[in-house]
Amino acid sequence: MIEAKNVNFYYGDFQALRNINMEIGQQTVTALIGPSGCGKSTFLRLFNRMNDLIENTRLEGECVVNDQNIYNRSVDVDELRKEVGMVFQKPNPFPKSIFENVAYGLRVNGNNNKKSVTQRVEESLISAALWDEVKDKLHKSAFELSGGQQQRLCIARALAVSPMVLLMDEPASALDPVSTSKIEELIHRLKTDYTIVIVTHNMQQAARVSDKTAFFMLGELVEYSDTKKMFLNPDKEATQNYITGRFG
Amino acid sequence: MDRKIKQRIAFTTFRIFSVSVVLMLVSILGFIVFNGAKAINWTFLTASPTEGMTAGGIFPAIVGTFYLVVGSMLFALPLGITAAIYTVEYGGETRIIRIMRIMTNNLAGVPSVVFGLFGMTLFVNKMGFGSSLLAGSLTLALLALPLIIRTTEEALKAVPDSYRTGSLALGATKLTTIRRVVLPAAFPNILTGIILSVGRVSGETAPILFTVAAYFLPHLPDSIFDQAMALPYHLYVLATSGTDMEATRPMAYGTALVLIFIVLLMNALVSLLRNSLKNKNSNE
Repeated sequence: MIEAKNVNFYYGDFQALRNINMEIGQQTVTALIGPSGCGKSTFLRLFNRMNDLIENTRLEGECVVNDQNIYNRSVDVDELRKEVGMVFQKPNPFPKSIFENVAYGLRVNGNNNKKSVTQRVEESLISAALWDEVKDKLHKSAFELSGGQQQRLCIARALAVSPMVLLMDEPASALDPVSTSKIEELIHRLKTDYTIVIVTHNMQQAARVSDKTAFFMLGELVEYSDTKKMFLNPDKEATQNYITGRFG
Repeated sequence: MDRKIKQRIAFTTFRIFSVSVVLMLVSILGFIVFNGAKAINWTFLTASPTEGMTAGGIFPAIVGTFYLVVGSMLFALPLGITAAIYTVEYGGETRIIRIMRIMTNNLAGVPSVVFGLFGMTLFVNKMGFGSSLLAGSLTLALLALPLIIRTTEEALKAVPDSYRTGSLALGATKLTTIRRVVLPAAFPNILTGIILSVGRVSGETAPILFTVAAYFLPHLPDSIFDQAMALPYHLYVLATSGTDMEATRPMAYGTALVLIFIVLLMNALVSLLRNSLKNKNSNE
């Protein structure tokens, strides 16, 4: 479903990813872990081409989504980003109403049917486990929500355009423990419908939410296996050291 | 000397100087209000000057200034705002953009009389518009452009990048992102810049001196190729020429008062806007 083939990635002269080969299965949650600067976020952003926005970067190799190299010339980046949604580290709702935040993706993709937009907004907010908290104030500013609610709003916003893949870049790192556990429950529920790749600094979080875990270090994919195996009995010593907190 | 006494002397000096600056401003304002208020009445605001500018009103000058503000903004706003969108959203930090920015800054420092001369040469003579509302508006537009570009650039830069990435990540194109997220978010600050430049444009004399302003017109302009009277130039005329200086003096103060009132009104609008913006931001 998602695959990286011989991926090397450079910021200017600095090589951030070294020969990554990785396959990610459908409807699984895959956690990317590793110390700061190991390239895990860079790797995540390859799959909706957000790295394109950074100047002076270069990619070698292939990133495949749905049997297609998404870096082919023929690929429409805007179309790709509808298929591969993203949730960012810091909640980033637009300065619009709660309703308009979720409706945004539909509207910019040409859906102006009031009924279908309203229905899709409701569905998305329900999927993101936010509906009950906001259904009476849909037309209030999104900034009136708490940080955790804002992050779930951003998830709803991403779900509204019906992506197949959801990329999450440390989605709970700016949140309090209660909001974090809500997001984790949500990830658990969403994996029946979506393929989720999540970058996290929090090892317990990776253990709790993911089916598979990939450990990155210094731009290399050190180990990639089932989460259970990774945390109980990793193959590599570096993985063992990182997981047990000996560095990082 | 005792350190505490030193401190006290220093602070007292600062206080005296800052109060004296405020006093100067207030006394200028008070002087104009005191002398001008007598001239202000309904006729003054709605009639043309009569009897060699010693009686009647300044209505044509108010209308002329209004036309010039609207005319200059018609040219300067689309040009300035699109230029700013280009430099901030599309240009990146390339050499060309840096050069453009330096030029814009330099343009902002050019004395307004130079704009007047340039406008006269280009619009009045070379392009053959004659001394007209069109030539005057274009000249004032040139004067306002750097200000509009700068304030719009600052407004766009103040929009968090996370809005842009959030929108792009939903499959919105760059153009859609600018139109539906960036510009609405930047709008209050852009509006502030517009109002500031309206204030600037309505108060300038030198740029309109050779390009549009008329000493006296018996009727209002009815085409963009007509000359027009304008408040700042009218004030200049009343203060420097006339058959009976003593009789025109109250008219001059009245004109000054109207002009200052218009500019202050603009500035008041700006601060109102800023405050509402601040309240909005504190919700974030």
